Amino acid sequence: MSQEIAVVGSPEFTTGFRLAGVRRFENVPDEEKDAELDDAVTDVLEDEGVGIVVMHDDDLDYLSRGVRQNVETSVEPVVVTIGSGTGGGGLRDQIKRAIGIDLMEEDEDS
Amino acid sequence: MAKDVKPTRKNLMEIEDRIELSERGHGTLEKKRDGLIMEFMDILDKAQDVRGDLADDYDEAQKKINMARAMEGDVAVRGAAAALQEHPEITTESKNIMGVVVPQIESSRVSKSLDERGYGIMGTSARIDEAAEAYEDLLESIILAAEVETAMKKMLREIETTKRRVNALEFKLLPELKDSQEYIEQKLEEQEREETFRLKKIKEKKEAEEAEEAAREAAEEAEATDEEDEDLDEVQPDTAAQSPTGN
Repeated sequence: MSQEIAVVGSPEFTTGFRLAGVRRFENVPDEEKDAELDDAVTDVLEDEGVGIVVMHDDDLDYLSRGVRQNVETSVEPVVVTIGSGTGGGGLRDQIKRAIGIDLMEEDEDS
Repeated sequence: MAKDVKPTRKNLMEIEDRIELSERGHGTLEKKRDGLIMEFMDILDKAQDVRGDLADDYDEAQKKINMARAMEGDVAVRGAAAALQEHPEITTESKNIMGVVVPQIESSRVSKSLDERGYGIMGTSARIDEAAEAYEDLLESIILAAEVETAMKKMLREIETTKRRVNALEFKLLPELKDSQEYIEQKLEEQEREETFRLKKIKEKKEAEEAEEAAREAAEEAEATDEEDEDLDEVQPDTAAQSPTGN
């Protein structure tokens, strides 16, 4: 089954992806992120036609605890965050928990 | 707990069988965990490279779209974005790494030629084309990152589960089974000692009874002999008294 790529974020963030042909997008202006980002992300995560969700790293801070946890652990669809951070903040914790060592830190230092 | 088991030979044999099975399972799971961690290390290296590329592509795409916005205006860029007709699609196939099903994502219609994009060439500039192209490259990197990160998440879950199972066997089940085994062995030894002691006591008691019986019989016999002797003594003086008068 073919799936789509979805983008969630501010209109400035999503426009570029729309230029590349992404048609599933959720525009949430910066001033409404606190109130509406949770719902927008939940809608996209529940959409079976979406295979990859793209978000900005900084937007994760606007999410409530539960939604953020879903975003970090979701496999179908998988959420890829881009932007200021190294990405995979949740992954880093998961690695620490599963392997017992902070492998990402080691790689960052090297 | 160890105290809940009945100390019987049957239970002891069952527990020994379970210990053997658990130890075998523990070894196998440890090997699986180590194998998964090694596979994970390979994927992690790949993920770091992909993340680096992704960050570079995002910076590049940001620059291009900012340039397009500056030159053409935000409305023109949004207009071009809204006119796109070809949409990228992804299809997922799966690959098995040590029992973990990880996805392999195939993409189609991500990179498009100028005429496939759908916005008019006349109404837009090369800045928008460049921004669109940069974002198409970024999408390719995102798809690769999604594949690698999904694989990582799935493998991490499996590693965590396996680790939990190994720890449960090592620190919970096996110690409990060994406690039970020790408890039953001690109880059975104690029962054996009690049995030996009891048999010894019975034997001593029996011997004592036999000795008493023998002593009683001997005493009775001796008593009987004494009585006979006394009878004889009583008869003999009479005959002695009679004999002088008879002379």
